[in-house]
Amino acid sequence: MPGSSVPRTGAPGQRPGPPAGPVQSDTWLEMRGITKVYPDGTRALDKVDLAAAKGEIHGLLGENGAGKSTLMKILSGILPMTSGRILIGGREIALRNTNDALAHGIGMVHQHYSLVPTFTALDNILLGRGAPLSGPARSAARARIKRLMDDTGLYVPLDVPIEQLPIGTRQRAEILKTLDRNVSLLILDEPTAVLTPQETEQLFQVLRTLSRGGTTIILITHKLPEVLALTHRVTVLRHGRVVGTRPTAGATAQDLARMMVGAERLPAVKERRPQAIVEPVLRVAELTVLGDGGTPAVRNVTFEVSRGEIFAIAGVTGNGQTELIEALTGLRPAASGYAYLLGQPITGVNPRKLYEMGLAHIPEDRHRLGMVAQLSIMENSILGVHFQPRFRRAMPGTLHWGRVRKYARDVVRRFNVITPSLRTPMRSLSGGNQQKLVVGRELSKSPALVVAGQPTRGLDVAAAATIRDLLMDMRNEGRAVLLVSADLDEVLALADRIAVMYEGEIRAVLERGQFDRERIGLLMGGVGDGPAAG
Amino acid sequence: MLFSSLLLGALHAMVPLTMTATGEILSERAGVVNIGLEGILLLSAFGAVVGAEAGGPLAGLVVGLGVGAILGLIHGVIAVYFRGDQIISGVGINILALGLVAIGIVWQWGVAGFHQVDRALRIPHLVTPLGSMSPMVIVTVLLAALTYYLIHHTNLGLQIQAVGENPAAADAAGVRVERVRLFGAVYAGALAGLAGAYLSIDWLATITRNLPAGRGFIALATVVFSRLNPFLAVVGGLIFGFFDGLGLLASTSREITQVVPYQFIQMLPYVVTLLVVTGVIGRARFPAASGQPYRRE
Amino acid sequence: MDPRPGDDQAAESSGAADRRRVVRDAAGTAGQVLLAAALGLIIGAVLMEIAGYDWTRAYQGLWLGAFGDPWSVADTLASATPLILTGLAFGLCFRAGYFNIGGQGQMTVGALAAVVVGAYIPVPTPVAVFLVLLAAGAAGAVWSLTPAFLKATRGVHEVISTIMFNWIAFYLALYLAFYSLNDPQSAERTVRVLPGVRLAPLLAGADATAAIFIAAGIALALYWLLWHTPWGYEMRVAGLNPSALRYAGASPVWTINWTFMLAGMAAGIAGATQIIGRPPTYALYGDLSNLGDLGFDGIAVALIGRNHPIGIIASAVFFGALGSGARMMQIMAGVPLDMVRIVHGVIIIALAAPEVWSIIAKSLVRRRAARTEPVSAQAPNSPARR
Repeated sequence: MPGSSVPRTGAPGQRPGPPAGPVQSDTWLEMRGITKVYPDGTRALDKVDLAAAKGEIHGLLGENGAGKSTLMKILSGILPMTSGRILIGGREIALRNTNDALAHGIGMVHQHYSLVPTFTALDNILLGRGAPLSGPARSAARARIKRLMDDTGLYVPLDVPIEQLPIGTRQRAEILKTLDRNVSLLILDEPTAVLTPQETEQLFQVLRTLSRGGTTIILITHKLPEVLALTHRVTVLRHGRVVGTRPTAGATAQDLARMMVGAERLPAVKERRPQAIVEPVLRVAELTVLGDGGTPAVRNVTFEVSRGEIFAIAGVTGNGQTELIEALTGLRPAASGYAYLLGQPITGVNPRKLYEMGLAHIPEDRHRLGMVAQLSIMENSILGVHFQPRFRRAMPGTLHWGRVRKYARDVVRRFNVITPSLRTPMRSLSGGNQQKLVVGRELSKSPALVVAGQPTRGLDVAAAATIRDLLMDMRNEGRAVLLVSADLDEVLALADRIAVMYEGEIRAVLERGQFDRERIGLLMGGVGDGPAAG
Repeated sequence: MLFSSLLLGALHAMVPLTMTATGEILSERAGVVNIGLEGILLLSAFGAVVGAEAGGPLAGLVVGLGVGAILGLIHGVIAVYFRGDQIISGVGINILALGLVAIGIVWQWGVAGFHQVDRALRIPHLVTPLGSMSPMVIVTVLLAALTYYLIHHTNLGLQIQAVGENPAAADAAGVRVERVRLFGAVYAGALAGLAGAYLSIDWLATITRNLPAGRGFIALATVVFSRLNPFLAVVGGLIFGFFDGLGLLASTSREITQVVPYQFIQMLPYVVTLLVVTGVIGRARFPAASGQPYRRE
Repeated sequence: MDPRPGDDQAAESSGAADRRRVVRDAAGTAGQVLLAAALGLIIGAVLMEIAGYDWTRAYQGLWLGAFGDPWSVADTLASATPLILTGLAFGLCFRAGYFNIGGQGQMTVGALAAVVVGAYIPVPTPVAVFLVLLAAGAAGAVWSLTPAFLKATRGVHEVISTIMFNWIAFYLALYLAFYSLNDPQSAERTVRVLPGVRLAPLLAGADATAAIFIAAGIALALYWLLWHTPWGYEMRVAGLNPSALRYAGASPVWTINWTFMLAGMAAGIAGATQIIGRPPTYALYGDLSNLGDLGFDGIAVALIGRNHPIGIIASAVFFGALGSGARMMQIMAGVPLDMVRIVHGVIIIALAAPEVWSIIAKSLVRRRAARTEPVSAQAPNSPARR
């Protein structure tokens, strides 16, 4: 197997801080003129060039949809490219599948989905390696992985099903799995998206250690501080093209941001108008909600959201936010405690009733809940309100498509949904336009309370800005907004108050003016403050 | 006497259910669901008779297995490579098999709908304390054990489980998702084919267009009962088989049919299947990606 | 995302664009089905050639038997009648995301109910016909609601439960036809329904009766339900994205029960049409031969009709033609009746993998597009398939 082996240097984390010194500049990996056109005609990559030296940490920066993941999936053999060449050490290589890539020492740590949840860490690491499930060969494999854990400092319990481990640990298993393949080029796709700041720093130390041992690392990200803290060089992609490659030393966050989004489109939030009246719209008291496993996912949570306020819940994904939203929107029963919307109890109430009471729900997972991909824009524009009399004929309650069409056209126009026609199936729209329709539909209910779950996740910058502005408009109009977001910047920009959720509890509630990024980061990681009432 | 013939009846009725279910367990572990098992049983039963009449019982078994494997392959290609709807494909196989066999019987023997298989062409039976028993009973149990070992103690088994639970992860780890899934589909087809051969050239010794009589679907119920464990498929096969065997036994006994009309006895296995499936289903956990096509982006 | 020129007008002029889109989608679907049907007939021809039949003569017979004269057309329509209904029984559930393989059993109990009510309950004629249909529908609904209930409460997969119900219905009908409803004057069938409920032939000596209008009317009603009522909207949402159904505030349990109930009623009425709508017997044969495999064939009818009520009518007529033509095919070329079933099977297997067709279609489109204009760089999200 070509490619160097995993570094067997000492314990990690001895030298945190700025990137290791300049690497030898001779190019080792080269991607030339990579173009990817999907069968449906989408041009995801257009003549992309990328080069990296041995031991280099190379940042790959770009907005969602810029083509970062596509490029790396090509390099790791998951996707075929339409045209282009890939060279390692000056020799052209062909990558038909992931095995080819691994044979050339190229391994990728994916953002999602690359561990089998029911398997133990050991089985996940050995999957595809051809190691038998029992006997001495397995013991040898186990010993090898133990050694690898010692070398890298990536410790993982080997015999527990992955689904029972915390996210950070799963990611370590994922990296171990890749390193066990003796990779000399390690690709990481948004590795910090689900980590606390503290876990992130640990990861960076491991990566620096690997880099010093000669492993080339490509880090896909859209977070500027990470690029500046970790990488030697950075390549910026926009709309499937390379904007440029820069040495990180000497680059500033502003430079990179401009390259990433184009100069004039830096997102900003609308003006926050002072609200005179404080009047609770949503009151949650000692609410406990069970997760899918039957254990409490939300523990004894208490807070209020007033009219004219954006109350944001920050926290690393998976700390009970989803279950909280579901309990407040009629999708999950509460185990104990209360929740009131304008004084009326709402736990265990049918969503349709809640919508009539003044609830708008922008669901976290719009593909699963908020829309039906195969149905048209028109049909999706009435999801949840389809029983309301305004869309029905007097004659035994049938749907009045003329009125629905008018309504859909109105939503499309007011919320700037770009679509060829109202009969276009939802799935043909871009993610941003899908979300604009969902948000438009919900906000058109003239709600008293807007529950918005990760409203800008996966959207491009322009669409995300539009949606943030709409939420601010809602607030300024005197409605209550409950925002749940894993994007700390978004939360800091929008919120009037921030509650930090950790392991199902609200650890602290902070008023605007006392927002402190570092303290929130620590709270998100479970450090500091106990359960708090808001 | 009654006890031993009931037990033998159950064992013999267990064979097609457990063998078919065993193959389907492996296939569902890999993420391919085949509701065309009924059709595979039927067409391979027919093929086995043709094979046996040409070259003896062993040839019959081989032809049955081969026919099953080919149908499994067709289903697998549609499900895996064309990412087709597995249920529709299975329905198509059932209908196609019905047509082919109905016509095949006419073409092959010039009779409509029913052909008796010569005693000499049947698989030779073993003499046991219970009475004469088909060796396929033992083969079935061995196959269940083998399949269990394959799934839980080999590297291929690890890959099978991975492509059923999370094909994207398996793909990223270098597992050839399509091939592993196709193997599962062919394996299920082959075992159903062997079971079909057993129906026609061993146990029932006839070929009719209704020969499987829903056993392909009872095998699917057995899969549900087993929670994808081949050993539990043996248990499930015995339970369902007991009532199947009981029905066959009772409907040929005048004393019984005078008290209970034979139609109600014949109904028994289906009623029992329904009750058992209703009772046990509870928290059976199936592979997350079962029945769903895998596509890269 | 750059707004493209013309988008502002898009919403305005969407009426025309919408109509074009609807027509194009319908044409695409029809094209797929026709290709699959052609494939089915070709493989049928190959098989006949191998087996030594004269397939040109066989297909000639098929055509003559199906459409050769008014009586053949009537035969075709008569064969299509129950298939429309059993097709709807499968297609409606499919739209809502369920596999109702139990049309056969639901139809069987419907036929039993039709015999009981039609033969033993003397009421004024128009009321009687209505009562027979109602009883048959109710019986079918009972047979379909139990699997729906088991699915909703116990998670029993409907494919397994409906198949078991088919067999239970089969043996129940055999028993009742032989012991309880048997006609003392004829060993081979049950008592005949009263003359008042017998639907008369539309054409002297032909099989077709007003039952075809009943079937077509039910198809149109279900079309209306699916696309023009909030309940039908919910059924379609249920079939495409069950989570979104809960988000929309509808009850999945209610939806499955309603859907299966309507499906069972359609299948039950299919059974009734075989009793009161098929001259000259107006009774159930002891071996259930006038029910045949109509329930199972409904699955094929629905799949080929793309589970759309209008498509199901067309598909049922196609099946009816194959059915009525098969007899002439047998007479003229000696080909067994079941040949048509092979054709069914091939068509369905071919339709199981729509991706094959879209790959073909796309490669055609791309070849054409390459000649005219560069491919659009617009990035639609790749949809998650159900």
